[in-house]
Amino acid sequence: MVNTGTCGAGWQHPEPGLQTLRIYDGATEGGDIDLIDPANGAVYGEVEMLGPGTTASMSVDLGSGSYAFRCLFDDTDPMTGSVIKIDGHVRGATPILPVTSNDLLGPAKEYQAYVTAGLAVLAGQTHALAAAVQAGDLAAARAAWLPAHLTYERLGAAYGTFGNFDDEIDGRATGLAGGVNDPKFTGFYRLEYGLWHGQSAAELTGPANELYHDVLGLQSAFPTMELSLLDIGLRTHEILENALEFQLTGTDDYGSGTTLATTAANITGTEELLQILHPLLVPRYPALPRVYTWLNRLQSLIDAQHQADGAWTPVTALSTADRQQIDAAIGQALQELAPIAAITEPRTT
Amino acid sequence: MNEATPPADGGSAEVPGPRRRAFLRGAVGAGFAGAAAGGAVAGYAYRAGRPEPPGQVAADEAETGRLPAVPFHGRHQAGILPQPQRQTAVVSFNATADGHAELTDLLQTLTDRARFLTTGGTPPPVGIGAPPSDSGVLGPTVVPDGLTVTVGVGPSLFDGRYGLADRKPAGLTAMTTFPNDNLDPAQCGGDLIVQLSGGHTDTVVHALRDIARHTRGGMQANWRIDGFCSPARPAGTVPRNLLGFMDGIANPDTGSAAEMDGLIWVRPGAGEPAWTAGGSYFVVRLIRMLVEFWDRVGIGEQEGMIGRRRATGFPLDADSLFAAPDYALDPTGDMIALNAHIRLANPRTPQTASSRILRRGYNYDRGIDAVGDLDMGLIFTCFQQDIKRQFETVQTRLINEPLVDYISPFGGGYFFALPGVAGPGDYYGRAMVS
Repeated sequence: MVNTGTCGAGWQHPEPGLQTLRIYDGATEGGDIDLIDPANGAVYGEVEMLGPGTTASMSVDLGSGSYAFRCLFDDTDPMTGSVIKIDGHVRGATPILPVTSNDLLGPAKEYQAYVTAGLAVLAGQTHALAAAVQAGDLAAARAAWLPAHLTYERLGAAYGTFGNFDDEIDGRATGLAGGVNDPKFTGFYRLEYGLWHGQSAAELTGPANELYHDVLGLQSAFPTMELSLLDIGLRTHEILENALEFQLTGTDDYGSGTTLATTAANITGTEELLQILHPLLVPRYPALPRVYTWLNRLQSLIDAQHQADGAWTPVTALSTADRQQIDAAIGQALQELAPIAAITEPRTT
Repeated sequence: MNEATPPADGGSAEVPGPRRRAFLRGAVGAGFAGAAAGGAVAGYAYRAGRPEPPGQVAADEAETGRLPAVPFHGRHQAGILPQPQRQTAVVSFNATADGHAELTDLLQTLTDRARFLTTGGTPPPVGIGAPPSDSGVLGPTVVPDGLTVTVGVGPSLFDGRYGLADRKPAGLTAMTTFPNDNLDPAQCGGDLIVQLSGGHTDTVVHALRDIARHTRGGMQANWRIDGFCSPARPAGTVPRNLLGFMDGIANPDTGSAAEMDGLIWVRPGAGEPAWTAGGSYFVVRLIRMLVEFWDRVGIGEQEGMIGRRRATGFPLDADSLFAAPDYALDPTGDMIALNAHIRLANPRTPQTASSRILRRGYNYDRGIDAVGDLDMGLIFTCFQQDIKRQFETVQTRLINEPLVDYISPFGGGYFFALPGVAGPGDYYGRAMVS
């Protein structure tokens, strides 16, 4: 039982072991309820958004030690209930120290600086790309397209980080009624489609200039864009979830056959976020080395498809064995990355 | 009901006499009514060789929505002998593990997951450290629901990658292509085969998701097919295949240890490595049934091709379901044609007794083909001691059967079902990789 007066009353005869605690919110407000180690605030279990008058279950594996509930009601100061002791010498699950918004401010700044630097490079590259198209040198445009696209893909844009800018700069034709011929199809993939499907410089000048201007727009808007602290952790697996869904399937190949290069850029973006979060992860995620093991394996497998002349193997041309090795490595990497979003979700203490 | 013993003087399989369409090309399909003894029933809970106690399985499932756990540990894998269950998924994987140590990890992980999934229990809580440890598809507590996990290895696992070249089971080869096979390489073979069978679709799907989640780095799926075993209709008979005929009426007696030792379990020696003891060769054949064509065939011709009545499952020369056809009394095929499926599959002679196989087929149904016909058929699986002596011998006898015009084998493979996991410290293939 939790309410705004007591936090965790009614836990009779606590026992060690795997168990499910049923928590009832008798308050008039909802909130988050944690079971913590009162010594340091490390969390054993959590119920998020417990509504007033409702019950939720919390599955925990408790060993011998001290426990307390912490109640975080809306509009009320955090409150910790009385300490509950479980006697004996039973080993339970290891609690995790919560990450706070404060903890994430530094990482957010670092990520912003990373993106800001990347956007400056991107502006130059998309300018060069637009210039090549305008000059009618489509060979140069095709050569300029890939580095520019990879710069963008390294930024870790996924699931709306850059709002509408992402649709304009890197949107795909799916979801547009006219497909690749839809006037709303813009950005890198629009240019890729044209550059690798024999469209003329005249036809592509508009889209190339538009891309450059959209990048400039993002560059000027970015400093004022709000970056959700929750997103930093989420992106550590979402960038590669996108790579698996759209790049390794070949869905986002509009003609250049470079989705493996995009995947490599996505790995770089993921590693940047991991590096930023590293100090928070080391004390909280014992399996962190496995993340790097699998990302490195994935990176090597992708690099092996980058030919000496700079060309990339299109995913459709991969042998079954190579393809399965890559799919296995990204699948395992994603499994290992998934806990990071849960661990780095900003929590109130 | 002593069909396990072939008649002393069985008719031999002569070249079949022509029927309408029988002159058409010869081919395959060991999938329809093979070897000896046993009443096939749905639900693993019944011993082979006994008709289904009417209604009991259905009542049990209806009340609880689940079946009890099948004990995981044992000398043999638990999913081999039981009758087909309601639902199955057959999935071929290639090993992507990097070297011998990672392959061992993979086999250990696979064992841990199979042990948990078949036993049931509460998935471990993760606190704030990870997404939920279970998909939740079966609710907060994983119910066993009769789940069995059968793991086999294909010949390709014994190439140079894992240092197992000298461990290959003696009779494990790539699947033979028989006349009139229509094999799609993308749906054939694999380093590993995993068959998940259980009481309900959600149980099987949950198990597959769980296993895949825990083994992403170690193996990757090549092909997959889902199947079902129908309830016996009418109750107390034998489940039907999608040709409308009861399938699996005759099988070796799984209750007889001597018969299983003689027909199913591999015995080391004679070239078989020691680690194979307790395993069994596992043949999978994916067989499309051309059901539209079949449904345009008269009942007399259908029954003649199979050798049984469609409505009752009785052999054409007998008046009960489990009666043994008496080929000695019918040497010229007046009652059961010499090329009828059941007669070719199991001629019931002393000479052919050792070629009997344990058939464990499931129906499959997965959409439509390019001309709008239904893509459905049979996941033919069988277990045996020796593929050449058993499956291939049966299949060779069936090459010219008339039924071949209505079926098209398109996938599958030869595998070796690993010995059972003996206890909590053991794992799939431990003796193979040690």
